[in-house]
Amino acid sequence: MNGVNRAMAALLRWSMLVMPAERREWAEAVWSEAAEVPSGWRQLSWLAGGLRMTVREAALARRLRYPLAFAAAAAITAWTAWSGPPGNAATTINRVDVITMVVVLATLPWIVGRTRGTVSGGWLARLVRTGGYAAILALVLVRTATRRVADAPPNNLGGVTSAWMGEAAYLVVMTGYVALILVVTARRSPADRSTVATGVAAGSALGIIAYALGPLGFPLRFTGSGPVSLYDAALVLGVYLAVSAPLAAGLAAGRRGTRSDPAGSGVRQGSMAGLIIGSAAALVVAVLSTATIALLPYDTWLRQWASSHIGHWTPVAGHWTVLGPGTREGYVAGNSAFAAGYLIVLLLGPLLGCALGAWGARSWRLLTR
Amino acid sequence: MRVRPEFSAQTLSVLAVMCEQPSQWRHGYELAKRTGLKSGTLYPILVRLADRGLMEARWQEEQPAGRPRRHLYRLTPDGLARASVAVTVAKPSPQPVRPRRRVAAQA
Repeated sequence: MNGVNRAMAALLRWSMLVMPAERREWAEAVWSEAAEVPSGWRQLSWLAGGLRMTVREAALARRLRYPLAFAAAAAITAWTAWSGPPGNAATTINRVDVITMVVVLATLPWIVGRTRGTVSGGWLARLVRTGGYAAILALVLVRTATRRVADAPPNNLGGVTSAWMGEAAYLVVMTGYVALILVVTARRSPADRSTVATGVAAGSALGIIAYALGPLGFPLRFTGSGPVSLYDAALVLGVYLAVSAPLAAGLAAGRRGTRSDPAGSGVRQGSMAGLIIGSAAALVVAVLSTATIALLPYDTWLRQWASSHIGHWTPVAGHWTVLGPGTREGYVAGNSAFAAGYLIVLLLGPLLGCALGAWGARSWRLLTR
Repeated sequence: MRVRPEFSAQTLSVLAVMCEQPSQWRHGYELAKRTGLKSGTLYPILVRLADRGLMEARWQEEQPAGRPRRHLYRLTPDGLARASVAVTVAKPSPQPVRPRRRVAAQA
């Protein structure tokens, strides 16, 4: 066997690991039979055929479908986020961001799998895991697009150090999100199936409502008493929903826990329900709003709409200059401030949700005692 | 409506070889040489035949010196019965011989 054939034989043996256990025998059969095939091209063709079979069998068994889809999505995200002038701090931060997130997304399933098991059977866990991964990759993409404009000189009004600190905090928070997605969808998940389903659905709906009420993170400005009263009423309703959804999910989880296991599982399920709602809502609103912010420099209509519906571009804070609305510096600085603001949303959303959910579950226990 | 055949032409070629001496265990490379199929086509066919219970597979009992053990294949009784029918049906039937009209003799 020459070097190429030996490498192909090794690849074939390695590929057996991704095949379902009941099919590995067949890949081994092709590999062992290769010793009988005359060396050279015929043997190489034999081994290549075996490799093709293992890939097809593994893909049929869904073992490779998700890793391949993730690899493709990660490659597209990395390729899109990579561009930028070399030596520029924003470009460097973007590259660190995309590499770290892809590594976290790729390796954390293995770490979580050791303690919580692999992905739970059924479509729900797969859907939540796929949707969560897609949202996080989308957030990487839109954040890097925003930073390319807002954090590049001469627009980096906050400075390079603060940009790096923000990036470090963001990476820690996002690692928490990836871990949460993996843990709640694992075989030994602390949250039951209905808690995950309700939490993700309610959280995503809340995120969309929050985005509709303030697509750039600030309340919108309307003219005329009719639109103003309507918007104010919608805002009040939005706040009410944001508080009551995790509370109601906690109450429902407390009720289920009381029926099945009175020893505190209701409170745990309630806090998990609130945590999932808060995390899903924060992730959805962060992705949608950051995508809108990323589009601002390229879309004149969106910029005009934003300047007429949002009162202030930049907060009066620190050493930042207060800039007039509509100017280039104004919306660039505004982009940076708004996009950074979503880190607070991503951090506080899960914490508030968790606290409200636990409170709801505990209230149910106290009411029914 | 045309009825879809039970086996593909490639599967039939494998079954035809295995029907020749049904009691004999065969190796993958031998089947590949006899049928002209590549390993990437042959082995999925063998996998499906084994899944359907038409073929049995086992590993060679004794370890050959310096070589890995080989995987061996043979048709099951059910597989042999169905393969024999399928191979016979698939063989091109001979043209029916038409009786010559003895036109001249009658004339």
